Amino acid sequence: MRYLTVALTKGRLAKKTMEMFEKAGITCEEMKDKDSRKLIFVNEELKMKFFLAKGPDVPTYVEYGAADIGIVGKDTILEEGRKLYEVMDLGFGKCKMCVCGPESAREVLENNQLIRVATKYPNIAKDYFFNRKHQTVDLIKLNGSIELAPIVGLSEVIVDIVETGSTLKENGLKVLEEVCPLSARMVVNQVSMKMENERIRKLIDELRRVLQEEM
Amino acid sequence: MQRIFHTPEGVRDIYNGECSQKRKVQEKIHRVFHRYGYEDIETPTFEYFEVFSREVGTIPSKELYKFFDREGNTLVLRPDFTPSVSRACATYFSPDKEPVSLCYTGNTFINNSSYRGHLKETTQMGVERIGDESADADAELLAMTVECLLAAGLTEFQVSVGQVDYFKSLLKEAELDQEAEERLRTLISQKNSFGVEEFVAEQKIKDSLVKSFVEIPQMFGSEDVLKKARSLTNNACALEAVSRLEEIYEIMKNYGYEKYISFDFGMLSKYQYYTGIIFQAYTYGTGEPMIKGGRYNGLMKHFGKPAASIGFALEVDNLLLALSSQKLISEKEDKPEVIEYEPQNRAEAIKEAQKLRAEGRSVALRLKKEVR
Repeated sequence: MRYLTVALTKGRLAKKTMEMFEKAGITCEEMKDKDSRKLIFVNEELKMKFFLAKGPDVPTYVEYGAADIGIVGKDTILEEGRKLYEVMDLGFGKCKMCVCGPESAREVLENNQLIRVATKYPNIAKDYFFNRKHQTVDLIKLNGSIELAPIVGLSEVIVDIVETGSTLKENGLKVLEEVCPLSARMVVNQVSMKMENERIRKLIDELRRVLQEEM
Repeated sequence: MQRIFHTPEGVRDIYNGECSQKRKVQEKIHRVFHRYGYEDIETPTFEYFEVFSREVGTIPSKELYKFFDREGNTLVLRPDFTPSVSRACATYFSPDKEPVSLCYTGNTFINNSSYRGHLKETTQMGVERIGDESADADAELLAMTVECLLAAGLTEFQVSVGQVDYFKSLLKEAELDQEAEERLRTLISQKNSFGVEEFVAEQKIKDSLVKSFVEIPQMFGSEDVLKKARSLTNNACALEAVSRLEEIYEIMKNYGYEKYISFDFGMLSKYQYYTGIIFQAYTYGTGEPMIKGGRYNGLMKHFGKPAASIGFALEVDNLLLALSSQKLISEKEDKPEVIEYEPQNRAEAIKEAQKLRAEGRSVALRLKKEVR
């Protein structure tokens, strides 16, 4: 039997995923060792391999077939726009993609003026403003602490993920518009889905069962 | 000035053993095409933009390499052979009177996004059967697909067959607007069943259709899928689409290749010109299909000679990747025999080499080093 390789998004998402996998009977003891410097973790009985990658890289590994399965946020799937099967909503990591800014920015959004938008997700922002709102905007790509941009005057608004909204509030910003809801998804390489259909389908069924029990 | 010796991003040199391996694989596949009676055709590397325009339904315009001729016409490097071969066929043949079987080999060019691990120039080999509407033609191309992969040396692979008409007839029954259609098409081709579920719940369509649409992303696998597809609808066109697949499957049994065939009702190509069956061939070791094909009964009309057609294209580079990752390529190279000679023996050496060459052996003549 071949190894089934799973790419996980480093951080909280990976932890939650492994918790869920464990409930479905898929464990990986190697991964629990915090001091380990290994890059790839193996479960020999189930013939499964796991590795951790940065979010935006997960769809890349899966599209190329280097990983059969990936666990990644919907935001990354939308932003990367790769050819993948998106087979399951895992239900955790729920949050929203929003347009945020100071209250005063609401007016410029409504008047369809040319505004500057700072974001880590230029493709999602572009699609939202150009195709859905038909508003011309100047996009500024940033790599972190997006909330800073409107405060220091780099942009009028930002497009970013909002989970609780507390960071926004502390900095005098508000959610002005909602772009789309997000959560963790399971993506599958299109060839793997066919060649390893039985095993992958079984995995999906198991995870669905876990999800239903939780509800 | 800085001198540039490397190739631009997305294109590459192929040399040493890899190049001869590629040629060998190509020869094997070419022989399969000929064994089925397909005739060679060459079309130009670039054509007028109109051949690949939106109405034809090939790849999006922004991914085409475009340039202008002296008169200001827009020219395009071919991204795909099917429109070119169809155009040529409409010009030189009469597929309405006698079906035409053509095969080709050549490079295609797609200006895709950078740093994604995809080459911009790839080699394709393929066949087109123009003017034949029968299920027999469908089956023949599937059989050739199987044989090409066997000839290349693969043993574990799968040919997944879909039927665009099934989805299309359900879509027609649902009477969605174009935007909703596009959305549903995307969700289904991503096998996003929960997304489909959410989406169809918002639309005003009847329950039986809702049920079918939700099922489609999961309708792939062995022969049983056909029965399931039948049980999900009363739509006459959709049922006819299933019958077609059943008929093809029966013919595949005559070829003895049915074990390689599986079905997938959620396979919807991004090429808009496909009208009936579409299919893809997969194996381990490459994340993308090696062969893509399908029926395109509407395309010839675009070139002024309506004719039912079917074809497929094999991505040679993908196939080679799969072969090497499955360790199916023999590293052994056919090295030429070497005859060394000194100037005074030149006449005999050449005579000997020419004799061996006439026998079909490869011989390299080399002047002895110390003399050179």
